[in-house]
Amino acid sequence: MSPTRPVSNGANGQGNSVVLGPKDRLVGQLYIEGDLRVSGTVDGSLEATGDIEISGSGKVNGAVTAYKRLVVGSDASLIGGDVRVARLTVEDGATFSGKVSMGKPEPKVEEPKPVEPEQVIQPKAKRR
Amino acid sequence: MDVQEAVAEGTASVENGEVKRDGRKQFSMGPGDILEGKLIYDGSIHADGKVEGEVRVSGNIDVASSASVRALLEGANVTLKGQVEGAVTARDKLTLGKNAKLSGDIVVRRLQIDDGATLNGHVRMGDFESHTSGQ
Repeated sequence: MSPTRPVSNGANGQGNSVVLGPKDRLVGQLYIEGDLRVSGTVDGSLEATGDIEISGSGKVNGAVTAYKRLVVGSDASLIGGDVRVARLTVEDGATFSGKVSMGKPEPKVEEPKPVEPEQVIQPKAKRR
Repeated sequence: MDVQEAVAEGTASVENGEVKRDGRKQFSMGPGDILEGKLIYDGSIHADGKVEGEVRVSGNIDVASSASVRALLEGANVTLKGQVEGAVTARDKLTLGKNAKLSGDIVVRRLQIDDGATLNGHVRMGDFESHTSGQ
């Protein structure tokens, strides 16, 4: 692994923000520890631990997960995928469709379920 | 049963029933009012109190912040400020105010969601087979 500059610009990943400009394009998946602003085109899925803003004439086709807030601007579009966010703002004029889940910001990593002690009920006394 | 006019069944108690505003009919409910059943109305409705069932209007639907709605809603412009459980169709625009809580699938032409609103459901935008109201 080459030590290319990591996406996070701080050692702790705090205050990080990534911008995809109007001429930028992303096909695939993106995970950001911090905020993300898209005014270009994304075909794929986005996940950010902070806010995601689709602004300008930004277009996102795919799933979006924002642990904090998602904003879809009035000329922007978000189509298709599952949208999981804690807070959501859709401005009038925006194109927006998909399945929206809000309320409980679910961390992606599932907690392993506590293993129940195995209690196998064994037939103790054999019938005589 | 052929439902033509506004049918407010069961415990419906709408005090100020029908009000005309700007020459258009307005069905206005207060916070203590209850509507259960199916309402098909040629005009607009201001929903408050408790609404259960189905509401289809030719005009606008406006759900007050203290309202609790478990119903299918269809109108031209639909503005939600309170709690709604059920599918919503806005032939023009759906607005979710900052205290709105909506769980249900929505079909809209235009959509505005204010920060603070809660939405759980599928969103479909654009062309939809428009049910002629009153049907």
